[in-house]
Order: sequence, then C-alpha cells, then structure tokens
Amino acid sequence: MKLKNLIFAFVLGTALAAGVWTATNMQRAAAELHAATVLPAPAELPEFALLDHNGASIDRSVFEGHWNLVFFGFTNCPDICPITLQVLSTAKRQLAESGFSPLPRIVLVSVDPVRDSPEKMAQYINAFGEGNLGITGDIDELRKLTSKLGIYFQKRDGDGDYYSVDHSSVIIVINPAGEFHALFSGSHTPESFVHDLPLLVATAKHPSGNGK
Amino acid sequence: MSLRSFLIFSGVLLLAVLLACTDDAMPPLVVTDVELSRPLPGVNMSAGYLALTNNSAQAIRITRVSSPQFDAIEIHETVIEDEIARMRPVSELVVGSGETLRLQRGSLHLMMRQSGELDGSITLNLYGDDQLLLSFDTELDPAGT
Repeated sequence: MKLKNLIFAFVLGTALAAGVWTATNMQRAAAELHAATVLPAPAELPEFALLDHNGASIDRSVFEGHWNLVFFGFTNCPDICPITLQVLSTAKRQLAESGFSPLPRIVLVSVDPVRDSPEKMAQYINAFGEGNLGITGDIDELRKLTSKLGIYFQKRDGDGDYYSVDHSSVIIVINPAGEFHALFSGSHTPESFVHDLPLLVATAKHPSGNGK
Repeated sequence: MSLRSFLIFSGVLLLAVLLACTDDAMPPLVVTDVELSRPLPGVNMSAGYLALTNNSAQAIRITRVSSPQFDAIEIHETVIEDEIARMRPVSELVVGSGETLRLQRGSLHLMMRQSGELDGSITLNLYGDDQLLLSFDTELDPAGT
C-alpha cells in the first residue's frame, strides 16, 4: 500500500513538474518572440484539394513533416511578393548557416490561380532557393484554406490579363503535424524569422520536421 | 576707371560666371540609385526603384515613364493596411523643389511589363505631361534582387 502510494505520488509529481516546465517555457517563448503570434492551441487545417508546383494533387497532409512558412501571393506581383519571398529565403539561409535544424520550408500559395499555373509556380519559387513548395489550383478549394487561416484576397479590376490582387501580407506558420501554429505579422525581416522560429520549434509539441 | 570700380566690376563678372557654371552643373532633375530587376522566371512583370532629385526652383511632375525595351511601365504604390497588401496605380510623381523622392521596396515603384527577351542596357524615359524630362540608360539587375 505504501509502495503503491509512493509510486502514485511520484508519477503525479512528475506529471505536474512537466506541465509547469512546459507552461513556463511557452510563457517565456511568448514573451521573447519579436514578430510571431502563437495560437493558444494549434488548429486543424480544413480539407482541401489543390495542386503543387509539379501539378500533383495535394491535400492538407502536404504540410506534414515540415515547419512551413506560408505566404499567400501571386507571381505577377512585382513588389511585395518577391520582397517577402526574398526575406524568407534569406532567413532560411541564415538559419542554415547558424546550424539550426529543422530548416523551414517556404511555401507560396497563389491567390491568382487563373494565371499561376503549376508550371509558372515551379519556375517562380525555384528562384528563391531549393526545397520550396508552390500551391495553386481551384479557387473555391483555395478559399477553403484561406478562410480557415484568416487570409484575405481580392482580385482588382484591370486591363484584360493585367490586374492586381489585394492579399494578406502575414506569414502563416504550419507545424509538422500539419496544424496552423502561429503567424508573423507586420513588416517582415529576416531577423524576425531567425529569432522567432527556433523559439516556436523549441516550445512546440511536434518540433521535428524533415526540412533540410 | 578707378581701382575700386574695377574691383567691383570684376567681382560681379566673376559671380555671374560662377552662377552660370553652377547652373550647367546642376540639371533640374537627377536620377540616382536605380534598381531595375529582370523579371523572375515564368513571369513578365518586374519592379523598378530609383531616387529622383529636383534641383530646380519649381516642383517637377512626372506623369509617364516609358522604355523601348518594355511593353508598358506604370507607376504604382504598395500600401499595407491592417496586414493587407494593396498595389495601386499612381497618376503622377511630384518632386518638390530641392527634394528627393525615392521609389523603394514596399512603397512607390515602377511596374514594368515586357513580353520579349531583355538583354543589355535599357533606356528609361521620364515625362512630365507630354514633355520628355529625362532619358537615361541603365543595366538590369538579376531577377529577384
């Protein structure tokens, strides 16, 4: 009886200590983050059916196994989209140089699927480094994903094939479990990702990714 | 002519010559910090950035930009409000007297559209209404820079 009580007390104490340690770390991480906002709990992504930059059909499982930095933009965007992707590319390179692992995967989801074919997405994202993922496809399927993530996009009137698309500028973080984990808002700099991503990974329940 | 008169006359003449030289050395509109990128692979659109300095006594309005190497060049501005990025056309750039206006990333920029191959130097023409204000040649930066 005494032994049983001791074992019970030990297990309970260990569990409590682990909980306190986790909560403390998460609080510390939240306090130290520069630009990222972590969700109170990771959120499941909706089901969707889109295409990757190779033209292959994908669903929400495409995000699993990686820490994904997801940007919603379009290839005919001359200014803010390539700027943002260059920031992410620079951050990834700096993380690699620092020895950080797992490296995040940069993902561009097109908010202009009419013009952004898989072939065009493949050419475009490869200009920002290796291992990136491009996503395009049916616009109704795209809306399933964007509405869950709070992403806004709206095509503007233009001259025939020449038009712009207003879109959210935030970077969505999807963890290796394929869950909506955090977001980066404000003006994006490589430093904010280099600083915050290791903290996000360290305090996550699913830190492991397959990123190279 | 007395020495005093001669010295005054010489001083005025020298000042006039210096002012004339100064005017010749300071064109009204000067372009610097030019960054024109090649389009990224798969697209025919790219951005251009530069700084415009007005050395004249009046404001300078730039209403059109063109280039023989590009199908079209438009002036746009990226505006981010409430985490939403919007790109809006701008009808003119106004550079105040003695001021420098900068077209830069995430803000005012040139949106350049081309359907053909681009190589070598390009020519950029800046117009105020229908008057050519400035024409200059520059090299394209690699895509994505």
